[in-house]
Amino acid sequence: MMATVDIEIPTPARERKRNLLDFADWSVAEVQALFETADVMAQVLTRTIKKVPALQGFTVGTLFFEDSTRTRLSFERAARAQSADVISFAAGGSSLSKGESLKDTLQTIDQMQADLYVVRHPAAGAPSQIARWTDAAIVNAGDGRRAHPTQALLDAYTFRQRFPGFDDFRGKRLAIVGDVMHSRVARSNVELWRKLGGEVVLCGPPTLLPPQVAPGVHRSHRLAEALEGAHAVMTLRLQHERMASSLLPSLAEYVARYQLTERALAGAHPEALVMHPGPLNRDVEIATEIADGPRSVIHAQVANGVPVRMAVLYTLLVGKR
Amino acid sequence: MSARKPGPLLVANAHLVDGAGDHGIGDLAVEGGVVRAVGAGAGEGLDAERTIDAAGALLTPAFLDLHAHLREPGQEVKEDLASGLAAAAAGGYGTVVSMANTTPPVDEPGLVAELLQKAERLGGTRLRPAAALSRGLGGETLTDFAALQQAGAAMITDDGIPVADGRVMRSACEYAAELGLVVQTHSEDPSLRAGGVMNEGVVSQTLGLPGNPDAAEAAMVFRDCEVARLTGARVHIAHVTCKRAMQVVEHFKALGVPVTCEVTPHHLTLTDAALEGFDPVFKVAPPLRTEEDVAYLREAVRRGVVDSIGTDHAPHTRAEKERDLLTAPFGLPNIEVAFALLYTELVLGGELELDRLLWLLQDGPAAVMGWPAPRLTAGAPADLTLIDLTRERPVEPRRFLSKARFSPWAGEMLRGWPLLTLVGGAPAFELEEVAS
Repeated sequence: MMATVDIEIPTPARERKRNLLDFADWSVAEVQALFETADVMAQVLTRTIKKVPALQGFTVGTLFFEDSTRTRLSFERAARAQSADVISFAAGGSSLSKGESLKDTLQTIDQMQADLYVVRHPAAGAPSQIARWTDAAIVNAGDGRRAHPTQALLDAYTFRQRFPGFDDFRGKRLAIVGDVMHSRVARSNVELWRKLGGEVVLCGPPTLLPPQVAPGVHRSHRLAEALEGAHAVMTLRLQHERMASSLLPSLAEYVARYQLTERALAGAHPEALVMHPGPLNRDVEIATEIADGPRSVIHAQVANGVPVRMAVLYTLLVGKR
Repeated sequence: MSARKPGPLLVANAHLVDGAGDHGIGDLAVEGGVVRAVGAGAGEGLDAERTIDAAGALLTPAFLDLHAHLREPGQEVKEDLASGLAAAAAGGYGTVVSMANTTPPVDEPGLVAELLQKAERLGGTRLRPAAALSRGLGGETLTDFAALQQAGAAMITDDGIPVADGRVMRSACEYAAELGLVVQTHSEDPSLRAGGVMNEGVVSQTLGLPGNPDAAEAAMVFRDCEVARLTGARVHIAHVTCKRAMQVVEHFKALGVPVTCEVTPHHLTLTDAALEGFDPVFKVAPPLRTEEDVAYLREAVRRGVVDSIGTDHAPHTRAEKERDLLTAPFGLPNIEVAFALLYTELVLGGELELDRLLWLLQDGPAAVMGWPAPRLTAGAPADLTLIDLTRERPVEPRRFLSKARFSPWAGEMLRGWPLLTLVGGAPAFELEEVAS
């Protein structure tokens, strides 16, 4: 039996969005409305029966062309908590090697008549291509190095929720440390944080930072300099293949220069939050005592993934036109 | 088509232009596959089987393309000789050099001979096959240059795949120099290019796509020019796409090194911003560059640094281009629209004189190869193109004769379309309205 709910879910300020590919066509007001919707969803998830009928009759398809357990789990939870049906497709790139085009794959799946697809793909732009080929709404769940907008939303949402006395993103500084070059999480966070009015500092060795950055984004190769006054510090997972591809001399050198430690955090804002999109390489990009320490909101990020993604699905599927 | 000797033909009232100049309005008589007479009264004494009133149209030697991927043998799903040569004829081309990166690669004399025989049977636009530089395009062992030349190979190239090993390139050039063969290079340093699928720069950063820096091209162009200097070989640098690489070519040309270079229609007209829509149709190698690069290429064309425009017509199936941007193949089809595109964008755009554009499609490529300059003179092969410079129509990929029926310029209104292409005096392409 489903509980009857009488909650009022706010709708976005403007017409209903079709897609969340990146934040290019999202206004600040729309993002704020999405956060408010997420607040309501978060409240739903504290109840004994953690389910609302908001998306009953809708079908959400998860199309994962690249392996991911955690993101998919989070989206499926978000869909089911609103009573949507969920269908899943996992390709891991194999259909491409069989010679089927992305369009053919999509059009086959599209015969299942899902209303929204959550797409993860190793190639940047694949969700945008898919959006051209279907009438269903598209949520980008990570495409190559390009974007991972729901991760950025849950990061900002977590900051908004956890930073003591939070009032506004304006004037707040986010430092992103590590392999920014290959990180869709970093790209989306830069885009969203800037949109919301915050400042961004990127930090890492020259081989792992993009040579060109957007206006209002700073670059630094020195950790202490980058963390100076930061209100939030996000470290990125270091992929071990970066050493093999000669982008880094050694793990030891990276750890010595860029690991987030108590000492490195000394210059940050006294109440700075520590974030990590996961999965963690403990004692590589982040010291264990920091990951498990009082400033860490790493678990809150994961937990907030569900209400934020609930809000995204809700907004795209039934938000006011 | 070649089974029957074409009858005598008179093209009347055409605007006659070739590399020797503008010959004004006049007639041109064709008999026995060659030009019989040119000018007023050219038709006198000709028992013309057919007369074409070409008033208002430009009659000029058919174009030469030193760089097209016709995909035969082995990749006929993308293109074959029949479709590729028909498309070339529709683009005004009378001669096409086909690239050797087929399946198997054209690395044996027998394959060259087979292609030539098949093209001969087909008639229409002339085929001059290129042969691979290395066996299996492996970049390690040289092919039999002399035997390939004997069989009819027009040039030596591994185009599509850069020759990574400098020593192999050197040996190839030493052999080619002795035989008088042109070596065409696809100059990109594979290690610097790495996994890049588009130009490295602000756009690739924003789009999160792996970038391929201009340095990859410039560095390899430098090496290939040095090898030309070292060996004296005639090295033709295919598809120069960026300012730095063009500057390198200029540097070596100024030293008198026997290098020549090519630019393509797409690198003269498109930039990396085209990738913003995430459409793999715009994925080409080397990649589309920046506005600054395009401006520099255009300037180099004007200044006469560029020797030829080659299409790098590279057809693929639509399904292959509907993959994602990492796995979709490099290349786009353009041979049918090349002239109209360049005429519209460069000549009508006020950036280039028509005679210069024609030179890059006629005398320029002929000089690169050491072929006679194509002329509208008595005795010359009747490889001719009749073009209506005022005709405006949209690019309609579904009507392409190429099997690759998609285009970066789909729907664009272009001016300057070929009406008729004669090869050896016989129509290789003809618009229906001309035929009737």
